[in-house]
Amino acid sequence: MTHLTMEQLLAVRDDDRSEPEFAEAHSHVAACEACRGELDRLHQRTARLRALPTMSSAHNHFPAVRARWQWDRQQRRIRLVSGVCTAAAAALLLSVVGRDLLIPPRLNAEQQLQTAIDASQQLEATLHAWDPAQRVVDGRTAQLVVVIEDRIAEVDSRLQDIARLEHQERLRRQVELWRERVSLMNALVDVHVTQASNVDL
Amino acid sequence: MDVLSPTETDAVVARARLGDPVALEALYRCYSTGVYNLARRICRTTEDADDVVQETFFEVCRSIRTYRGDGSIWGWIRSVASSKALMRLRRNKYRATDELNDELAPARGASTALRMDLESALGRLSDTARAVVWLHDVEGYTHEEIGSQMGRTASFSKSQLSRAHQRLRGWLGEEAVIA
Repeated sequence: MTHLTMEQLLAVRDDDRSEPEFAEAHSHVAACEACRGELDRLHQRTARLRALPTMSSAHNHFPAVRARWQWDRQQRRIRLVSGVCTAAAAALLLSVVGRDLLIPPRLNAEQQLQTAIDASQQLEATLHAWDPAQRVVDGRTAQLVVVIEDRIAEVDSRLQDIARLEHQERLRRQVELWRERVSLMNALVDVHVTQASNVDL
Repeated sequence: MDVLSPTETDAVVARARLGDPVALEALYRCYSTGVYNLARRICRTTEDADDVVQETFFEVCRSIRTYRGDGSIWGWIRSVASSKALMRLRRNKYRATDELNDELAPARGASTALRMDLESALGRLSDTARAVVWLHDVEGYTHEEIGSQMGRTASFSKSQLSRAHQRLRGWLGEEAVIA
């Protein structure tokens, strides 16, 4: 006759019937005196384990625990406060400086007009220094120069015409026309310089 | 060790959850012996058990707000303690004692003079086996709970318990147990 293993005895002790063999073990114990004896010994051993004396520490650890806990709490508060302050400072900095960095400054109409006039005058000075009258140009370039100069003249004429407009509207139109003039002057300088380079070559 | 009535316990826990150091100390006085005993049975040295007590109550102070009152406060503190004790075992990685234990274990029927008392026999078990025996047979944890705390399965816990009892039976001797 095969007796129960320790695992089966433990299953009987703990009333564990999760496996079929454990269920059979329950009926086996009822019929087997040797296994009943083993089960008794197991119960006694468990009871003795539970009856072992309680051990207690010779030290009172609470002062150390409380000191560590309070230090930890303090550190967590410092981290929290510094985190909030850092976030607030970053938000403030972004709102003050970041806006200027991320979004180009918006000039008012007068400033925009002055910028366009300055750019146009700078290009005219460049062209003057280049002295195109003394340069030899081919027919195609000369034709292109004429077209551009006609358009610049037209812009200058329109700039004269808008003098009678209401201030805000006049300013808006002046900015548009001066920007167009800058663009044409750029093209004129490009044409002259490129052609001259070709001739030099 | 102080003993609190259920009403007192509820009041102390409520104050402890608000961070009252006096209430936390009352919990320490009430449950530190239980924690130490569990730690001492699982760990090998008094130093380790003392460390487990400190770690456990530090965790209690920090996390008592998360205790929702689903089970008893002792059940909650005990689960923190067993977790800390098992962590301590893993950290220390004591020598594997199973093979040594087999050699030291007296054969069945050997002289009773060589037989050990239960305390010594328990101490001779491997760390894992001893922890499983204590947590299951004394503290009343299920195999599922033990397996989960150890990062293993319930079957692992069952198998450890079975092997541990086989060894204890051999070391203690039948007569000594029956007597």
